[in-house]
Amino acid sequence: MLAVEATDVSKTFGTVRAVDDITVRVAQGEVYGVLGPNGAGKTTFLRMLFGLIRPDHGTIRVFGRTWEHDDVAVLDGVAGFIESPKFYPYLTGRQNLEGLVLLDGGVRPGLLEEVIELVDLGDRVDLEVGGYSYGMRQRLGVAASLLREPRLLVLDEPANGLDPAGIRDMRALVKRLAASGLTVLLSSHHMDEVEEICDNVTIMTRGRVAFHGSITDLRAMAPAPGYDLRTDADDRALLVAADHPRVQVDLRDDLGLVVTATETDAAAYVADLCARGIALRALVPTRTPLEALFFMLTDEPETDDRAHPDGGAAGRPAGATTGAR
Amino acid sequence: MSTTTPTVAVTTPPAVRPGLGGVVRWETRKLRHQKRAWAVLLGALLGPVPVVMVIGAQSRPPKDSLFGRFATENGFALALLVLGFASQWVLPLLTAIVAGDIFASEDQHGTWKTVLTRSTGRGLLFWAKTLVAGAFAVLVLVVLAASTIAAALLIVGHQPVIGLSGQTVPSASALALVSASWATVLAPTLGFTALAILLSVWSRNPAVGIAAPVVVAMVMQLVGSLGGIEGLRPFLLTTSFESWHGLLTAPRFTGPLVEGVVVCGVWVVVSLTVAYVLLRRRDITGG
Repeated sequence: MLAVEATDVSKTFGTVRAVDDITVRVAQGEVYGVLGPNGAGKTTFLRMLFGLIRPDHGTIRVFGRTWEHDDVAVLDGVAGFIESPKFYPYLTGRQNLEGLVLLDGGVRPGLLEEVIELVDLGDRVDLEVGGYSYGMRQRLGVAASLLREPRLLVLDEPANGLDPAGIRDMRALVKRLAASGLTVLLSSHHMDEVEEICDNVTIMTRGRVAFHGSITDLRAMAPAPGYDLRTDADDRALLVAADHPRVQVDLRDDLGLVVTATETDAAAYVADLCARGIALRALVPTRTPLEALFFMLTDEPETDDRAHPDGGAAGRPAGATTGAR
Repeated sequence: MSTTTPTVAVTTPPAVRPGLGGVVRWETRKLRHQKRAWAVLLGALLGPVPVVMVIGAQSRPPKDSLFGRFATENGFALALLVLGFASQWVLPLLTAIVAGDIFASEDQHGTWKTVLTRSTGRGLLFWAKTLVAGAFAVLVLVVLAASTIAAALLIVGHQPVIGLSGQTVPSASALALVSASWATVLAPTLGFTALAILLSVWSRNPAVGIAAPVVVAMVMQLVGSLGGIEGLRPFLLTTSFESWHGLLTAPRFTGPLVEGVVVCGVWVVVSLTVAYVLLRRRDITGG
């Protein structure tokens, strides 16, 4: 039995097709990523999974149950949060959790303290949530989810809005939970997050699935990494590139050169530049291969600091998304 | 097309489901931590005291109001005068402060997605919130009535009161009649509670849920006072606020009271049905 089996699911809001005929299957025990830029339809899909909104078309089964036949029983063994977790600001963290326990029909003795300890809220759990930082609310959200002792944990951009330390802690927590055998469905718009945590991934864009497969498959499709290169003679460096057919070098106005190549080829090219007396002023990796692929699959314009003249793999055929719907 | 790791044949064990009692406890607990709920109760408890003192100390009684002529010299009359005043907008406001907020505040705090991703369905949450809002309305009415009657009798006195037919009502039965009169406004108060719940669910805005029932009450009174639409009057919630008049006449008549209860019952059923359907069908997209 699959943990999640969404088949041909669509949802339209007014004239906007938020989710367009997507199929997603998540096996039990895997850590599954739903990746996409903002507005791709990830959150709408997760809201449908939780029964917060109804699909116009298609079926969503969670552990074999559907909202049509099983109503709230669909959520048996399921927990998580959508976007940032929200709580009652006039109650303490503990009071919020105790209330959610009532809505769950109770929990086993001692679990409440266990989850509070696990998410490291400490004494702050007895402060009013209105005074919590974003990161503390995220952790309280994880605690609230774990109170259900789920077999499927759904986290919608859990690291969103967190500072670097918070992101690190959140990812470590998700990894720990995944290692315990929990099925995790994680949405994100950060490729590195999904790459670090997930086994399989669905990439969505504009409500559709652009890729569906394993991280290994995704890596195999990824273009070469990109680097920003600055030398004391960019014109000469550009000419030297002609002797390195597997290295693509482009001049980017006054901003130096952009090199697209594997790590080995880039190293050989740089060594050649040095051998020819061209001094290196900077060599900076600009994006990981998977990031480049993500932008390619989602047709997202890259930000200035990640800009690359031809996108590295701009020539890759649309068939690269084979297996996706 | 789908990438899946080998599946494990595990079935989900049946989960423990919360009963209505558990969800009501949760809603009650939330209400207990809301300052506005306590402010309403305190207002209902203490508010009548200065009102009674001020009216009781007037040199000229408010003769234009029902029982106003005797309000400065008779505690029972004063309690009934306050009842008439409270019926105009105070009771709709006091009940709407909780009922108009109890659903919309979930939208305000973005917590629908928190509570609806637990083991509690929308139906259970709806009835729990409705029960709590209704119970709060009853509590507020009881506190307001008890405080008003006690203050009026202690400050102004408990002499026999002159009824609407000019009959003298002895003190002993006057207390029962005044209490019963206050009790009769329970039906329209619950009607406004249900209306506030509907507005709370529909608008998703606590301000609308709280203010709109008061505005509706005022509009109903205006409509009820207009000539030429007598056929409409019995169907207004505000008309039921006056059904106690029949208890203070000789002989008594209870027709408007029964009619008022039926009308309020219809308002409650229609308002709650529409609210329930709206909540069941809506997409929770915010928060």
